Amino acid sequence: MRTALVLLFLLAAAAAVGSLLPQIPNSPERVASYRVAHPVLGDFFSRAGFFDVFGSWWFVLILSLLFVSLVACLIPRSRAMIRTIRQRPIQARELDAFPHYRELAVPGEPAGVAATARVVLRRHGYRVAASEDGRAVAAEKGALREVGSLVFHWAFVLLLVAVVVGKGTGYVGHATIVEGQTWTDAAFNYDGDLRTGRFSSGGHTGIGIELTDYSDDFRQSGVPMDFTSKVKLFAPDGTFARDDVVTINHPVSFGGVRIFQYGFGWAPVVTIRDHGRTLYDGPVVMGQNAPKDVNPLAVPWVGFVKLSTLRPQVAIQLELYPDSLAYLSGLLSGTPEPMTEANAPFMRYAVWQGKLTDPSLTSLDTRFMHQIATGGIGQGWTVDLASGCVAKGRVASELPPQLAGTVCPKDAAAPALTMSFPRLKQYSRLQISRDTTVPFVLGAAILILAGLIAAMYSSRRKVWVRVEARDDGSLLQVGGFALQRKDRFEEAFPKLVDDLASAVTRTPAHPREEVGAR
Amino acid sequence: MTVGDWARISSDAFNVALFAYIAAMVLSFAYLAFRRSGFHTAAIVVGTAGLAANVLSIVGRGIAAGRTPWGNMYEYSSLLTALIVLAYLVIVEWRYRVRTVGGFVFAFAIFTMAMAVSFFYVGPTELQPALNSYWRQIHVTAMITASSLLGIGCLFTILYLVKLGMERRQMAALRAQIPPPIMGGSVDADLEPDAPPDYAPGADEPVGSGAPALPARRIALPPSATLDRLAYRFIQFGFPIWTFGVMCGAIWAQQTWGRYWGWDPKETWSFITWTIFAGYLHARATSGWKGAKAASIALVGFVSLLITYYAVNLWIAGLHTYAK
Repeated sequence: MRTALVLLFLLAAAAAVGSLLPQIPNSPERVASYRVAHPVLGDFFSRAGFFDVFGSWWFVLILSLLFVSLVACLIPRSRAMIRTIRQRPIQARELDAFPHYRELAVPGEPAGVAATARVVLRRHGYRVAASEDGRAVAAEKGALREVGSLVFHWAFVLLLVAVVVGKGTGYVGHATIVEGQTWTDAAFNYDGDLRTGRFSSGGHTGIGIELTDYSDDFRQSGVPMDFTSKVKLFAPDGTFARDDVVTINHPVSFGGVRIFQYGFGWAPVVTIRDHGRTLYDGPVVMGQNAPKDVNPLAVPWVGFVKLSTLRPQVAIQLELYPDSLAYLSGLLSGTPEPMTEANAPFMRYAVWQGKLTDPSLTSLDTRFMHQIATGGIGQGWTVDLASGCVAKGRVASELPPQLAGTVCPKDAAAPALTMSFPRLKQYSRLQISRDTTVPFVLGAAILILAGLIAAMYSSRRKVWVRVEARDDGSLLQVGGFALQRKDRFEEAFPKLVDDLASAVTRTPAHPREEVGAR
Repeated sequence: MTVGDWARISSDAFNVALFAYIAAMVLSFAYLAFRRSGFHTAAIVVGTAGLAANVLSIVGRGIAAGRTPWGNMYEYSSLLTALIVLAYLVIVEWRYRVRTVGGFVFAFAIFTMAMAVSFFYVGPTELQPALNSYWRQIHVTAMITASSLLGIGCLFTILYLVKLGMERRQMAALRAQIPPPIMGGSVDADLEPDAPPDYAPGADEPVGSGAPALPARRIALPPSATLDRLAYRFIQFGFPIWTFGVMCGAIWAQQTWGRYWGWDPKETWSFITWTIFAGYLHARATSGWKGAKAASIALVGFVSLLITYYAVNLWIAGLHTYAK
């Protein structure tokens, strides 16, 4: 037990380290900035696994040792417990030597009194055994204490195993789905933060999720109140299974995975044409890099379209203001206003030309590129990216006057590179996780609690009764003690003796007297 | 009454409760020092009035915010204070009839309240959707209840260690007066208080007409055995509730974030606290670890409890920080 305790404390100490230092799985960017700020220490911590405590070899080692130590300790204890339960309570000789002792004269002959005492003790929850001469009773109670303790510890072992197996064979990742799109559960379809367990086979379920509609609800202040994704679910073979709704706190279970609402964002649909030839047509998933302490909803959303087939290559950087009216009024008043719904959406763009270095859709490396044009585009417009003028679409729309575009001159040559912005969609980010042992973890947790309470609130008590013949009846001797919660036994023992006394006197020693008493 | 009225009533009642607790603390300490039962009665009356104001503040807050009033650290602290005082009044004063330690408990309650106003105050608002769960209420209720019980238990552990030190000094003083045994016998066996008697109601009062060991000393805490037993009872009571609270939190996390456990700082520290108190309970059951050694584990547990409750929200970033 002592080893297990030391290991448990080690586990706690490791956990403390893990909570004080930034962890790679939770916040990789904070780890990176920590390592920049403290190069020497950071390098040491990194080697020692302090940036991923809960995945490090020594954390797993402590867990395994704890497991071994617990099991090694529990097997003999369980055996001993089974032996104790099978064993009949043992008779005692000198009852008056016990901490609690009472003797009283009662009517009736010894064997009958002892039999009644057995019944009373049983009613009080004791396991009883009569002596060979039938004049003494040994009783004990509170095996539940050791049983509860064992249940608690075995359940703890079960919990460890279930957690390790569940996390080890499962996976968790995030899926970004734009309204109208269908996503399939396969490793390469995740957002790039897919975490798979150590013992995972790498297989995925292949189920399909189509986002039919995403909606959200914000308070005036921009505090989110609800996010709702309406989805169609498809079996791995592509057949439609059912419609469902994923909201915060209401995950959906389907095909062996659980689907949670995780995030959301904007995805403007853009079409980019080069001399009338379509280069890109689809939604652009927008992200945010809001500075700290700023409501991210008050900051424009950023996305990129990379046209790698053009020579030289071209990247278009987009900056979306879903609610341009709110943004402008925020600018004028000085306090940024959250843009929670689409209201006269507007994008600013910058066209970069040169050499694309990475295919990432969330960032742009401009070291080998130069900016050739900038401008703005409202919903429904088609703009000439080179000159910035509006080739098609209503310029005088609901947009504020500051953002109104200029129509291309009638006699201008047909533009080379154009961009259209027909619609603004939303995307939902869902968390997909597979963990097959959750029911076992829950079961183990319930057993832990049940065992704990049983072990804490029951106490082992032993009571002996001996009856000796006296001239006009018997002498009833009761002795006993409690191993735990002795103060409670102090109250319980006299009550037990009273019960014994009244039961014994009620047993008709002389039938006539009994009638007379009525 | 409007929502604004309730919000004002809530914060007024909070202040009334704070001042009532301060008064109750002063009165309790006065009782400890001068042993006039009037001080004790006044402390209990004022403390109970403070508790009523505290409860009113919580209820008013709930009406003003239109939800169960435990959604941020300010509200947790208010609830924690009420439960600390309630547990003290019911268990220590009423059940065990120990009357001399109230001042320390009220001081703890005042500390919690002061922290709430100075670091965590926010107006009554609606909750983020992630907090809007049935399990939240169970989880938070269990955690706060357990925190109050474990907190009081640790407070008694501190008092126990103080009193134990005082008793040891008294023993040493007594031993110095007694001549050494002539025939190689030992006086230690009679003097060591290492086998605490079972708890008897009113154990902080001198029994019968027999004078206490050193009657010259008026400020006397209950005997160390009483304090030890009280500390153990509170921790033993709080530990399963803490376990239950952590489990409810895991269920809620599974529902909201898709994993029952993610080593988020608050989760991590609740686990550390659980581990330490589990160690304490094991130590109590192990011979040779009773008394001061076990108590020192409870002290570590107290530090961990305070970190879990405060430090994680104030300094360590994580998912629970929105609960600020």
